[in-house]
Amino acid sequence: MGLGAYLTLAAALFAIGLFGVITRRNTIGILLGIELMLNAVNINLVAFARFNADVVGMIFTVFTICITVAEVALGLAITILIFRIRRTVVADHLDLLKG
Amino acid sequence: MTDPAFLALTALLLPAVSFLVLAIVGPLRRHGHAAAYLSIVLSAAALVAAVAAWRVSAAGGFSERLWSWIPAEAGPLAVLGVLADGDSTLMLILVALVSFLVQVYSLGYLSDETLPSLGRYYTYQSLFAFSMMGLVLAPNFVQLFICWELVGLCSYLLIGYWYTRPEAARAAVKAFWITRAGDTGMLVGIVLLWYQTGTFDFLQLLQLADAGLIPLEGLGVITFCIYLGAAGKSAQFPFHVWLPDAMEGPTPVSALIHAATMVTAGVYLLTRMVWLFRLTPDVMEIVAWNGAFTALLAAVLACVQTDIKRVLAYSTVSQLGYMMAAIGAGFASAGFLHLLTHGIFKALLFLGAGAVIHASATNDIFQMGGLGRRMPQTTIVFVVGALSLAGIPFFGGFFSKEEILGATLAGGFPGVFAILLFAAFLTAFYMFRVIFIAFGGAPAPSHGGGESHVHDAPPFMAVPLWILALLAVGVGIFLPFVRWQAEFEAPHGITYAAITVAVLGIALAYLVYQRRVISADTLAAVLGPIRVAAQRRFWLDDLFAGIYRGIMLRFAWAVGWVDRYLVDGVLNVLSAWTLMAGDRLRRIQTGQPQDYVYGVALGVIALLVWMRWPR
Amino acid sequence: MTLEAITFWALGAVLLASALMVVLTKNLFHSVLYLALSLTSTAGVFLALDAEFLAFIQLLLYAVGVTTIAVIAILVTERLVGARITQTSRHIVTGLIVSGALLAAVLGFLRGVPLPIERPPLAVDVTRAIGQVLLTEFVLPFELLAVLLLVGLLGALYFARPDE
Repeated sequence: MGLGAYLTLAAALFAIGLFGVITRRNTIGILLGIELMLNAVNINLVAFARFNADVVGMIFTVFTICITVAEVALGLAITILIFRIRRTVVADHLDLLKG
Repeated sequence: MTDPAFLALTALLLPAVSFLVLAIVGPLRRHGHAAAYLSIVLSAAALVAAVAAWRVSAAGGFSERLWSWIPAEAGPLAVLGVLADGDSTLMLILVALVSFLVQVYSLGYLSDETLPSLGRYYTYQSLFAFSMMGLVLAPNFVQLFICWELVGLCSYLLIGYWYTRPEAARAAVKAFWITRAGDTGMLVGIVLLWYQTGTFDFLQLLQLADAGLIPLEGLGVITFCIYLGAAGKSAQFPFHVWLPDAMEGPTPVSALIHAATMVTAGVYLLTRMVWLFRLTPDVMEIVAWNGAFTALLAAVLACVQTDIKRVLAYSTVSQLGYMMAAIGAGFASAGFLHLLTHGIFKALLFLGAGAVIHASATNDIFQMGGLGRRMPQTTIVFVVGALSLAGIPFFGGFFSKEEILGATLAGGFPGVFAILLFAAFLTAFYMFRVIFIAFGGAPAPSHGGGESHVHDAPPFMAVPLWILALLAVGVGIFLPFVRWQAEFEAPHGITYAAITVAVLGIALAYLVYQRRVISADTLAAVLGPIRVAAQRRFWLDDLFAGIYRGIMLRFAWAVGWVDRYLVDGVLNVLSAWTLMAGDRLRRIQTGQPQDYVYGVALGVIALLVWMRWPR
Repeated sequence: MTLEAITFWALGAVLLASALMVVLTKNLFHSVLYLALSLTSTAGVFLALDAEFLAFIQLLLYAVGVTTIAVIAILVTERLVGARITQTSRHIVTGLIVSGALLAAVLGFLRGVPLPIERPPLAVDVTRAIGQVLLTEFVLPFELLAVLLLVGLLGALYFARPDE
């Protein structure tokens, strides 16, 4: 399968992830959507690395995976903290930034 | 050091230094007498410089010093400097001399003033001296106009010196407003002239005129506009109404500004520009006829005044009319000569009147009387001035007045000549009316209490009076013998006509007011309607007041309305809309992070679309 | 259809289907499980792209680690007694439109660009190449990554500490 196929796959995954981020009410649900988006990015990177015979793309992917994992951990930690304080994980209720 | 421009520049800058020092150094000014001494000393030095400048430049020719002030591509846009030739240095001497004498006189006249006010007075005097000299020495229209306006400002400041008196404040505003109206016309004329010729500079314009390069069409409008400015400053009809009211200011101010210098600025300007005005004979005719009319009108008005200063004010207006008539007839040198002699004897008359007012504490001539016996010195100098004004031989005004009469005939204006001759009769009449009422006869009965105060003037006031009187007589005696080049051949009968008319006027005044042979009331009854009209100043003041209230104030109100509701309104509406928009836009910030994700996503889409848009 | 093509289509189908389930399921716990499935199929995609090392990392870190963390978070925040936390969705239509538009934009972008069909042959062992480059050219980011992970660990611990 050509590069285009993999890129299309990644694009579709990204769109699904975006949909999840936008529509989900639960904070953890939003984080899951972000996971999907990041996954799509990784697929993109690896596909380009393979088709351009450049290993740097894969190095990039290694880094993004690691950093994403750290970010998810922290995001969930914050969610737990907010839950403790506000007794809710519904994102609609977290509107302190409202101007 | 023999460069007349340098000397003239020195004369110009000395009062400027005085003004700056007095304006900036508050304590010095508030000390009062120190300010006066500084101003007087620098003014004397300026006089010396002016005389030196005249001596050096009297040989003819000219010299100038210029500094470019506003640079522009095609040569500087505005240039400042001095242009010293025979006329300007002569005028400079007049300004410096009268200014110096008036400042010395003021030490005595204003001795009752508080010290800070005195300092303020001398600051204004210095500024005025500087402005007037700047006007006289101006090499181009730009500096002329600037100094013209400065002189008007000083006039306002000095007329309104006693600003706590409402009449004085009103008079100052009136003077400023009316001269300003004329000045607007002058500005239009100056700009039009620049538009036609491309230059403000006098010398360049003179060269253009001589070479016949100034386009003639539209030049009449230009010269008429410039004449408007001159008419405003020199109190020609209908702009003359400010001068009598300006008598609210201190008498030395009247002597300086409203006799010798500021009001003569208009005449001086026309004398300077005569080569330009010669190109438009129609405007010259207007100048001549208006001058004659003004002379007659003012002379009539002077006959019914009871305030001694107002008599002198109308007399000034009348004499200015004489000067203008001579210029209009085409012989500016006659007008200029009368300007110089009139400056001397009118200043003398004003200062003398000041001494009289200071002593009798009133301006009303019917409240004075018999001053001749109690103030002999003042009486002598005042009579000298009056004789000069009336045009009696061997006194200052005789020769110049005769020159003017001859000029009008030689210029082909017999009507003007007749009017001026009649006005000369009236001049002698009203002047000696004042003398016989105030100085002759018995003291006014109601003024018995002020007896002790009526004495001759103190030295500060007396010395300038004597100096001016001697000058008036000296000029009268020596002028015919100094070779004054008349530009025309005058018929010999004029001299006798002038003398006869003057003597007749004096005789009539004598008969009416001294001898009481002819009753003043009969005279008044004969001239009934004219007298009433004259006492109402021919309703001209009312006309101006009506215009001011009716048109000007309404117009100002309308402009104010536009400013408040339209100009400010537009701004207020815009700001209100901005606030409203801001309020509405607030709602984008919902606080929900997902909505912000929306924004990001939309932005990315937009970016992609824009990148792929078919070009 | 070559083996490669079949593999690709199968993996793609599983991936997208499970992703859809992640975002559409009402039950949060199921959502996490579906996420695990999609992460695993991503690992499969990596294998199809000859990136074995990356597939391994993906499985280890993502499929196992992230899922574990998510499950623990759910457990902590969910009411243990009573109804499970369900999640409803908001603005579904708008979300559809926006993500659909984004998808369309990207795909449209990809259309106009010529993309290679053939893979270049593998010259070296990928894993070995990754290892070499990682420890020579990219050693600095590598070490910084370690620091980052440490910081993240500490931060997470600090955030989730029990109240005193």
